[in-house]
Amino acid sequence: MPISILPPRRAHTSKVAEFSRSSYDDDRSAAEEGEADVDMEGDIPMSGALQRNKRGGRTSIVTPGEVVTDDPQWMRGHGTYLAVAEEGEEVGTRIVATVAGTVTKVNKLLSVKPLRARYTPDIGDLVVGRIMEVQSKRWKVDINSTQTAHLLLSSINLPGGILRKRTSTDELQIRTFFSEGDLLVAEVQSLFQDGAASLHTRSLKYGKLRNGYFVKVDAKGIQRSKSHVLTLATANGGGEVDVILGVNGYVWIAKKTSLSDGKKDGKEVSITRLEEEASEAIYSSVNEFIAPATRREIARVGNCVRALVRHDVRVDEEMLNAVYEAAVEESMEERGDADESLDGDGGRRCVEKALGLDLFSGEFKDK
Amino acid sequence: MSRHELLSPEGLRIDGRRWNELRLFEARLSTTTAADGSSYVEWGNTKIICTVAGPVEPKMGSNRSQDGATVVVEVCFAAFSGNDRKKRARGDKRVQEMQTALQRTFSEAILTQLHPRSEILITLHILSQDGSVLAACVNACTLALVDAGVPMSDYVVACTAGSYFVRGGNNPEDEGEDPLLDMNNLEEADLPSVTVGTIGGGEKITLLQLETKVRLEKLEGMMAVALDGCGKLRELMDEIVRAHGNEVVRRIAL
Amino acid sequence: MPRELEPSTSEKTFVLEALKQKLRIDGRDFESFRGLELSFGEDYGLADVQLGKTRVLARVSAEVAKPFSDRPFDGIFQITTELGPMASPAFETGRQTEQEVLLARLIEKAIRRSGAIDTESLCIVAGQKCWQVRVDVHFLHHDGGLVDASCIAVVAALQHFRRPDVSVEGEKIIIHTLTERVPVPLSILHVPICVTYSFYHGGEISLVDATLQEEQLRDGDMTITLNKFGEVCQIAKAGGLPIGALALLQCARVALVKVQEITAFIQKRLEEDQTLRTRRDNLLESTAENPR
Repeated sequence: MPISILPPRRAHTSKVAEFSRSSYDDDRSAAEEGEADVDMEGDIPMSGALQRNKRGGRTSIVTPGEVVTDDPQWMRGHGTYLAVAEEGEEVGTRIVATVAGTVTKVNKLLSVKPLRARYTPDIGDLVVGRIMEVQSKRWKVDINSTQTAHLLLSSINLPGGILRKRTSTDELQIRTFFSEGDLLVAEVQSLFQDGAASLHTRSLKYGKLRNGYFVKVDAKGIQRSKSHVLTLATANGGGEVDVILGVNGYVWIAKKTSLSDGKKDGKEVSITRLEEEASEAIYSSVNEFIAPATRREIARVGNCVRALVRHDVRVDEEMLNAVYEAAVEESMEERGDADESLDGDGGRRCVEKALGLDLFSGEFKDK
Repeated sequence: MSRHELLSPEGLRIDGRRWNELRLFEARLSTTTAADGSSYVEWGNTKIICTVAGPVEPKMGSNRSQDGATVVVEVCFAAFSGNDRKKRARGDKRVQEMQTALQRTFSEAILTQLHPRSEILITLHILSQDGSVLAACVNACTLALVDAGVPMSDYVVACTAGSYFVRGGNNPEDEGEDPLLDMNNLEEADLPSVTVGTIGGGEKITLLQLETKVRLEKLEGMMAVALDGCGKLRELMDEIVRAHGNEVVRRIAL
Repeated sequence: MPRELEPSTSEKTFVLEALKQKLRIDGRDFESFRGLELSFGEDYGLADVQLGKTRVLARVSAEVAKPFSDRPFDGIFQITTELGPMASPAFETGRQTEQEVLLARLIEKAIRRSGAIDTESLCIVAGQKCWQVRVDVHFLHHDGGLVDASCIAVVAALQHFRRPDVSVEGEKIIIHTLTERVPVPLSILHVPICVTYSFYHGGEISLVDATLQEEQLRDGDMTITLNKFGEVCQIAKAGGLPIGALALLQCARVALVKVQEITAFIQKRLEEDQTLRTRRDNLLESTAENPR
């Protein structure tokens, strides 16, 4: 495959430079009048707010240190702090933002959602994680968050059924369940006081992952939705492919097998029969044979997920199917020496085809 | 470079600025997509890349504190950043001092109690030194932290100021000392300069560094000028953050 | 290796509350140094400083060496500060802690970079021979104020030190011993003294010369180095609590007064030592006693 060197994407710095230069000029002329006075209010006009209004129509993002509101009726939520009371005030009522982001108001709660932040776990989130450490009665799982999550021995399905008593033998054989480096899908059960998550895999849907490919994307791209486990019917003889979208940005794409379903013989397993169905096999670390055609499709799906996230499009079943189809079409067309990979322009074209609009200008274009 | 040329009789410095003018300050956020937060700052010819990782689980147990996040700063001077190619030894004391100063400054500004038992890793790469290096590092760190969504009480802004002694010559009335805002390399080599870092561009100083001799009376003037510069810089940085933020919001809305 | 023990919560509350009521634990007011004692050794160049319970020793020595290739007209001047377990069990030899690095940098900036010694006068033969003056600072006991005490020790030792006289005859350089010719003092351009301020309670309270306990409880600190002429040699406020600019300048002004007092004190002690020395030397010369 020929190596292609991509031209740089159109940068949006021209606008930034304009803004910074114009405000710099304003301040400069103001300062020359003021000489070396330390009088801050006199010299520097409150140009920030005025200039913003002049340029008109800016969206309401706030930046750290900016006073969001003065009104005492609001309660402060995440991303803000209450400013210390100044002279003349009894209690500080100014709510100041601590991150750069958008203001969200829910009833009386005012919070600032940061533009970019690490994933913070919430109860009920489906996450894909990797075992980092094995301790005496629990595992520490990396979920791409500010702290590692914990998976307690009492929160997993032991082979033989959930009603089995956890014995000391289980603790001694803890590595037979999950060992360092294993990937698993779990749900956040609860949060510790400092924000660390406690996971559980108490369902046949959750557990150790195998037969697949791991993709790490920005957690922002995957939003909480009803279903995080999708099945794609792939082209080119790839068979069926499972996609598990962890809310923390870790994605697992695997060949569909009977075990990965949570179903046995095509029927859902009811909770009363769980103890019979949960077998040793759920903790096996052996991968099955995967045909090359399936591998290619799995890789293609992985690239589609990455392309979607890179272009800030929500990843859900419909979008993923659309982009995958576009990608398959792209690969069918012979492009000669043009870029075949989905990382650069190829990915953008697929996403645009799927969305039906030009990503830079935001205009709709004919498919 | 002779001292007379640093400030001409018309009041122009070697790069054509007047005594109270900042150099062109340009910055970009999210330059390194792999990092949680990143920024690239060009202040005159001083160019710095900053990346932030975190808050993450600390690798060393000693960094795990119950009270709040630990801030760890690493500064790397590229060998080609100065006038002569010089590879800095690891553990160079000057670099360690800079790291400590940055770490303490940002531990104060970041709301560390929101992320106990984690650490925030800040890495700075200095690509080109042209004066005001510590101040530019502070500004680059602030922008990268804002990009990473690390909660801070306000922007941490730093600026430098120097003092130029005008000799009277024939006219004793001309003699005096002029404070100069935002020193470049040539000016820093010859003149005393002070680096002032504030939280929020106001009057509260968190970082103050003076390494050359200057008279106490002149210090007040220099600090006032530097604080002034910090105020202006904060507005510039805020504009940059807003422009970037609005762009991100616009892209998501598509 | 044991880390420095942090003060207990009740100690912390007590000290901080006392500060709010304008009381310091050892009864000083906020702007005074502890009792300063300075004594010199028999040999030239040894100064022993006691600042309260903190004790620091500085030793100056000189030998002939080759100057650096990029500075052929300057002598070499080095200051080494190493914190060892003698000062406090929290320090280890060989490992450079953050505190040690900061201390070394502060002393270097205050004394070496500000040009306390005229290094050009240390040159003997340009590009070939020069004096290498070395100051070794030993910390004997750590009770806070290490920077202040070590700075006083170093400048006192430098002023006390006498180097052997040198005469150059064509190609030959003769270094005279201390008894042959009167040794020559170093050429000291100015005397920098460090004053460290500690801040508490959001910047409302600032103390001069904190003891170890006060140091452990402080929210921020700043070290200013001035000489008696009112020149600021360096200021180091590395992060910590943000303080208003006017308050910092006020601290600088108070520091100037303190520096002038301390410089006068050092001068006085040097003169006393000099008279003692001449009296002793004269006595030695004129006594007729046989050593027993």
